[in-house]
Order: sequence, then C-alpha cells, then structure tokens
Amino acid sequence: MKKLIRLILKLVRTAVIAGVVGFVLTFTIYMTNAENKLIYDYVRPFLTKHYDKQARDRRI
Amino acid sequence: MKKEIISFIDQKLQKYDPVWMAENGAGGQRTRYRDDGSGIARYREWRGVEDTFQDYVSWLKNVGYMGAMVAKDPVKIMKGIWEYRWMGSFLGSFAFVDRIFEGYRGRELDIANIHGNAIVRILTLRIGLILHNDARLGGGEMTDKMIGLDETIPPLFTAGFPTLNAEPMQTMPEFVVCDVDQHLDPYYIDVAESYGLAPDVCSRCSAETGVAIDDAFPVFGKLVLSTNQPCNASEATSMFQRRRFHQKGIEDYPFVFAMQHNTKNGNDYSKEELRQAIQKIEEVYGVKYDWDALFKAAKNMNHQNRIELEKWEIFATPYSPLSGISESLYKLVEWALVNGHDAYFNEVDDKVIEILRQAVRDQYLPYKGKTRHRAFLWGPSAMYYTDFPTWTQNCWGINIVLNMDSTMGHNMINTEDPEQALTDLALFSEKGVMRHHAVGGWDNVNAVWEWAKRLNCDMVICNDNVACKGMNGVHALLEEQAEAFGFHFLFLPHDLEDCRTIPRAEIRKAVNDYMSIVMGEEPLDPTLVDFDDAEAW
Repeated sequence: MKKLIRLILKLVRTAVIAGVVGFVLTFTIYMTNAENKLIYDYVRPFLTKHYDKQARDRRI
Repeated sequence: MKKEIISFIDQKLQKYDPVWMAENGAGGQRTRYRDDGSGIARYREWRGVEDTFQDYVSWLKNVGYMGAMVAKDPVKIMKGIWEYRWMGSFLGSFAFVDRIFEGYRGRELDIANIHGNAIVRILTLRIGLILHNDARLGGGEMTDKMIGLDETIPPLFTAGFPTLNAEPMQTMPEFVVCDVDQHLDPYYIDVAESYGLAPDVCSRCSAETGVAIDDAFPVFGKLVLSTNQPCNASEATSMFQRRRFHQKGIEDYPFVFAMQHNTKNGNDYSKEELRQAIQKIEEVYGVKYDWDALFKAAKNMNHQNRIELEKWEIFATPYSPLSGISESLYKLVEWALVNGHDAYFNEVDDKVIEILRQAVRDQYLPYKGKTRHRAFLWGPSAMYYTDFPTWTQNCWGINIVLNMDSTMGHNMINTEDPEQALTDLALFSEKGVMRHHAVGGWDNVNAVWEWAKRLNCDMVICNDNVACKGMNGVHALLEEQAEAFGFHFLFLPHDLEDCRTIPRAEIRKAVNDYMSIVMGEEPLDPTLVDFDDAEAW
C-alpha cells in the first residue's frame, strides 16, 4: 500500500514538474514570438531556396 | 483575492499593453514590431493577465492541431512541405492568427479565438487528408474516392456521397494560403504570365492558372468538377486547369451555373446542372446518391443559417463583439469549405451565439467603445490584406460590421423532399462566394445600400479589384448612389491576390487620406497610420 502511495506521489510530482516546465517553456516561446522569428528568419529562407531550385514540369 | 492579484499585475504591466500605450501617447501596436518590414513582432501583444492567458491557451490549441496533423502522417507532411511551395507558406499561420486579432480584448477576443481554433482545426484536418491521399506523394486509401471540386462550388450537395470525399482543388494551394502569406500568389501569377498569358486579368484566376502550369495541385480522385463561378475569368482558368488534370488522368466535368441567378429560369437551369453533376459522379465512381446523407448535412447547414440570421439582427445593434475579420474569415471557411459537412461547426456557432446574446443583454460595447463609424465592406476583399478590418478598427475606429461575402447563400434546404431540396440547393449554390452580389445583374450590386441601412451603418467601403472588368463599370453609379443615400463612401483599390500592384500600405493610404482629409479625424493609434509591412507574410 505504501509503495502504491509513494508511486502515486511520484507520478503526481513528475506531472506537476512537467506541467510547470512545459508552461514556462511554451509561455516563453509564446511571449517572445520565438516560433515566428525562427520560421521567418531561418526556415522559410531555407525552403524558398529549395523551391527556387525545383525543376517543375510546366508543359500543359 | 484572485481579482485583486490580477488587477495588481495588470496595473504594473499596463505600460506594455499597446492599446494603453496608444491611449497615453506612449506608442501603440507597431511599437513592438521589428522595423525591417518583416511584420514580425519582437514580442507578442500584452493584453492584460486574463486576455493574454486566454490567447496563450488558444495558441497552444493551434500548436496541438498542427502537431496532430504532423503526427498522423509525418512522412507525407514532410514530403508535402518539400514538394509544394504553398505548403511552406502555411508555416506563417501563427503570425497570421496574431495579426488578424491584434488589439482584440474581452468578448471580441473570446469569439475570435473560438473561431480561430475552429479554422486552424479544419484546415489542418483537410491539409492532412489531402497530403495523405496525394498520389504524387504515394497515395492513400481515399485517393480514388476523392472528388475534386472547383473551390467556388459549394460542397453541400456532395454529402449525398458519404463514401466519397469532395475537396476544393484551389483552396489550399492558392486561396486560403494567400490570406496567410501575401508573397505566395505573385509567384504563381508570374508563372502564368511568363507562359504568355495576359497580365491584366483577375489575379485569383491568374494565380490558379499558375498553380496548374507549375504542376502544384495535389493529385487525387478520378473527377474534377470545374465551373464558371463566380465569373467569366473563372471559365478561362478552368480551361487551363483541366489540361493539367487530364495529364494526371483525372476527368473534368464542367458544372455551369446560370449567370443571371435571380430568375426562375436561371434557377431551373442551375437545378438541372446540379442533377447532371450528381449523375456524372454516380457514373464515374459507381455509387448511388444517398438523399438521407444529404438531408443530414443539410440540417447542419440550416442550423448554421438560422444562427446566421439571428447574428445579423445582433450585428445591427452596437453591442456585437463579433465583427471584422473574426466574422468574415470564419464565415468564409464555415460556408465555402465546411458547408454542413462537419457538425463541430454547429457547436461553435451555438457557443458564439450565446456570447452574442449575452452581450446584447449586457449592452456590451466592443472595442472598449472606441468605434466611431460602422461600415459595410462591399465587393471581394484583398486576399493579401486579411487583417484590413482589424487595422481600420484599431487605427481609425471603423468597425467593419459585415462583409459582402458573409451574406452568401442563406436559404433553408428542404430535408424531406429530394426534388425541393434540389431547387433549394441550386439557389443556395448560385449565391456562392464572390458571386452573391458581384455578379448577376445590377440589383445584386446595388443591394449594398439596403444592407448598409439594415445594419445601421454610416459608411460603405467598396473594394475595388482593379483587374475586375465587370465592377470597373459601376464606379460612378455607386458614387452617385452613396451621395443620394447619405453614406460616407470610399473605394478601396486592390489587386485581389497580387500585393505588388497595390501594396497594403497603399490600401491604408486610401483610408488614411479619406479619414484625415474628408472626415478631419485623428487616428486612435498613430503608430498604425503609416508603417512598412512590405516584406511581411
């Protein structure tokens, strides 16, 4: 029984820590607009370079 | 206690709230943006504790919808991003949601985020489905059971084929994505023009043609229903697109609506066309039309339209926290893409109408009571400036109460008699996107004044798509009518999907000039009057 209680407490503690860390992390990304900066400054320029190199079949 | 803590934090942090900054001469919405024209904010909008947290939760939901889309079939999604330029543009979706709801607070923000989440949910579901079944990327279990529809054909009638799935062909590669990224469609327009096509046509049709020439349509289904909706430029682009579909082994069937759609003859003609389109699908896919399945979806659509009619009554009051892009974008997606196929949208409508009813009971004044003018937005809007109504409210206090497209087909569909249902569906389909008032005779165009009066507007803003030959002919007539009826009136020049011809800044300038020179008013937020967003998505 004690083992079970200890396990439940451990699970609750892990869930709380994961929740707090998750909140801090995602709220920081949200407030600093980090995902948009990353996409605009790095991901899209990389993809655009790739799209510009594509050979497309334009015969219709 | 909780209230006191929140109020304490709000007071300490209010200097970061752009609305407070504008009110107190300490900056405004553009203060938090980078000054490189990218439209990327250095940090997100601080809206006070409760609204910021609410917006954060909504953002998390959108992250969840996108994560779920990728998790369902990560390989196809990655292949799709690698294959299709337009998929790269969808990466701007988070910034898109931010900019269209900028400055929203309280109940306006509540509804906007409910709508925003519903839009992101349905778009991620549909993109996931399309890419999973795209024959170019390997295909899936539904590849041969999908029907391609021209995006201007309302898909409600396809609910009678419950084992098949109808997808609008152009919505993802060209239409909705132009809302998200203003720089995508100019690429496809250039492809069409470099092929030797005329550069002075409607940019929507030109962009669709460019997608076809660039071989950038996803490949699925055995049949595509092309159409003449909403106008004659669409007939031309349909002819180019069918060549590409034929190359992919997909048959094309022209589903032609009556152009003069306010007459019984016109309705009879469209009804017959609808009947023949159903027969064609039965023949190609070897399935029988299921009227009960149609009636089930029609009930969803009727439910949506009943609520829509009640919304219009509320929009006529000064107490509606639903207006501008929060209203029109949701309506466009719910009507043109969902069209009775997804009961989730009925739940969203039920939730939102409750908020609206409560707002009327409370005599709630939206936008902190800063609305100075109530405007009806007429004509198809610039797709590359979706956040225009947000800007008009934040900068000049012009509340776009309703948009022309939001008045699309709202007749009820009979859910018992197939013959009557076909008649109702024909009328419903004729009153489709960009077609209800811009095509089909002078009475349709001229209905703007009745709408503006009905919704207690003092201003009419008429979108002037410079490449639309049809509407170019009615300029002077509308100006005369505006004067006669006593509305503040301005034309808003734009090039629908080509942001280079008339950039967002020029659209703003048309309003700025009118508001400062003709109306002699001062902006609510001076940082919004003139700014550079040329390189923004």
